[in-house]
Amino acid sequence: MKGKVDLEGCDEKCDGHQLTSDARHSGKVIEVEGLTVVRSGQTVIQNASFVVHAGDYIGMVGPNGGGKTTILKAVLGVIPFVSGRVRLFGHDLRHFKDWGRIAYLSQNAIAFDEQFPLSVRELVSLGRLTRKRMGRPLGREDRKTVEGTLKYMGISDLAKKRIGQLSGGQKQRVVLAKALVRDPSILILDEPVSGVDSQTQERFYKLLSDLNLERKMTILMVSHDLAAVFCRMSHMICVNRLVRTSPITDHFDPNPILKETYGEHFQFAYHQHQCKGEFKDG
Amino acid sequence: MAEIGLNDLADLLGYQFFQFALIGGILVAITCSWIGLFLILKKQSMITDGIAHSVFGGIALGLFLGINVLWTSLATALASMTGITYLRKKGMAQSDSAIAVMMALGFSTGLILISLAGGFNVDVFSYLFGSILTISKGEIYSVATVAILAIAYLWTFHRELLSLTFDEEDSRLLGLPVTLLSVSFNILVAVAIVISIKVVGIILVTAFMVLPGLTAIQFNLSFKGTAVTSILIGLVGVISGIFLSALFDVAASGVIVFVMVGIFVTSAIYNKLG
Repeated sequence: MKGKVDLEGCDEKCDGHQLTSDARHSGKVIEVEGLTVVRSGQTVIQNASFVVHAGDYIGMVGPNGGGKTTILKAVLGVIPFVSGRVRLFGHDLRHFKDWGRIAYLSQNAIAFDEQFPLSVRELVSLGRLTRKRMGRPLGREDRKTVEGTLKYMGISDLAKKRIGQLSGGQKQRVVLAKALVRDPSILILDEPVSGVDSQTQERFYKLLSDLNLERKMTILMVSHDLAAVFCRMSHMICVNRLVRTSPITDHFDPNPILKETYGEHFQFAYHQHQCKGEFKDG
Repeated sequence: MAEIGLNDLADLLGYQFFQFALIGGILVAITCSWIGLFLILKKQSMITDGIAHSVFGGIALGLFLGINVLWTSLATALASMTGITYLRKKGMAQSDSAIAVMMALGFSTGLILISLAGGFNVDVFSYLFGSILTISKGEIYSVATVAILAIAYLWTFHRELLSLTFDEEDSRLLGLPVTLLSVSFNILVAVAIVISIKVVGIILVTAFMVLPGLTAIQFNLSFKGTAVTSILIGLVGVISGIFLSALFDVAASGVIVFVMVGIFVTSAIYNKLG
C-alpha cells in the first residue's frame, strides 16, 4: 500500500496548501515559494508553491511541455529562476552544499552511450564521489556501500558487465543503484520508466514503494502513468505552467484537478479497487 | 637491408639521444593515450586536430620573434582552446565549425609569418612531422616536466573526470566543481597537444592521441581496463616506432602512427571475428 498521510489542512484540491505528511517524518525537504521560471522569453513556471516533507511519495504529473522537468531542474539549481525562493532541507538553494542528500535520475538516465567503457560496479561507484573528497580513491567503507547497494538492487551478478550490455530493466536498476549509493534522503526521478516493458515498470514501482516504506525515503517522481501515481503515491503535484498540489486519498476524485491541468476535455477513469491487481505489492 | 641483431638494439640504448627520445616518447605516450580516451568518450577527438594546426601559428611566431617555441606554442594552444570553447558556448559556431575557424586562423597566421620572414633557419617540417630522435636536453626537461604534471593530474582526478565525461549534469548534482574540472581538462588537452608535436608532429597528433583509446574501447573492458590498455597501446606504438625509426632511418612519427593503425585494424578484425 502507498504511504499513509495525514490530510489535515487540505481541502479537496489543496491548491496552494502545503502538502502534509506522516507525523514521524515532518521535516521539510523541499520548500518552493512563488517560483517563476522564464525560458527564451516564455513563462514556463508561474508562481509555483509547494512543500515536500520527509517520507512523502509524490507523483508529478502534467502534459508534455508543461514544465515538469523545468521545475525539478530549477529546484535543483541547474536552471535559473526569475523570482521566488527554493529551500532544500531548510537551507536556501544558493547556500545549499549538502548535495549528497539528494539523488536525481534524469529523463535520459538510461539513454547513455552503449559503447561507453564502464562496468556496472564502476558506474555505481561514481555515485560515491563528493567535492570534499576529490582526488582521493574510494575507501573501504565506500566499497562496502557499493557492494551493499548492488546486492540490495539485485544486480551483484552484473557488477563486472559493461553497461552497454544491459537490458532496459537492468539499466534502470543500475542507474537507481548509482543514485542510492550515496544514501540520499530524497530521490527525485524524471520519468524513469519510459521505454521499458510493463512488467519491468511494475518491478521498478515496487522497488520505489519499498524504498519509501522500508527505508523511509522521500520520493518525488515525474510520471505520465496516472494509474501508478494514484495507486501508489501519497500526493500529486500537477504542473502545467501553474502548479497545483493534492493529497491522494482512497475516495479522492482526481478529475477536477486533472481537468485544470490537462484541459476540460480530460477524463480519467480511476477506481481505488483497480490498484489491487497489477499494482498489488508483495 | 642489413640484418639487425639484438646487439644493435642494445647499442642504441647506450646513446644519449636515444635515451632522451625513449623517455620523452614514453611520457608523452602515457599522457596522450590517457587524455585521448577521455576525448573520444566526450566525442571531441577532432579538437586535437584544430588545436594542433593552430599551434603552427604559435611555432611560427616563436621563430619569428626569436622566443622559445614551447611557450608560444602553449600560449597559442590555450588561446585556440579558449576560442573554440567561447564560439561553442556563445552559439556563434557549431562544435566542428568552431574547430575549423581556430584551425584556419592559426595555420594561416603561421604561413604569413613564415613568408614575411622569408623562411626560417630551423626546419619547419620537423614541427609538421615531428622529430623525437633530435630532442635536445633542454627540450626533454620541459617535455618531461609537463608530461609528469599532466600524468599526476590524471592520476589524481581521473574518477572525477570520468564522472564529468559520463554525465555532466549528474556530476554537478554530486556537488563536483564541473566548471573547474572542465577548464583544467581543457588546459591539459592543450598542453598534451603541444608536447606531442615534438613526437609525431602537427599532422599526426590526432591519430597519436585517438588511436590507442579507440583500439582499447573495442575490447569490451571496464573503464580501468580500457584506460590501461589504451596506455599500453600508446607505449607499444611509441617504443617500437622509436626503435624501428632509429634502426631503419625512417620517420619516427610515421612508424609510431603506422604501428598504432596496425594494432587498431588487427584488433578490429579480431573482435569482428571473435
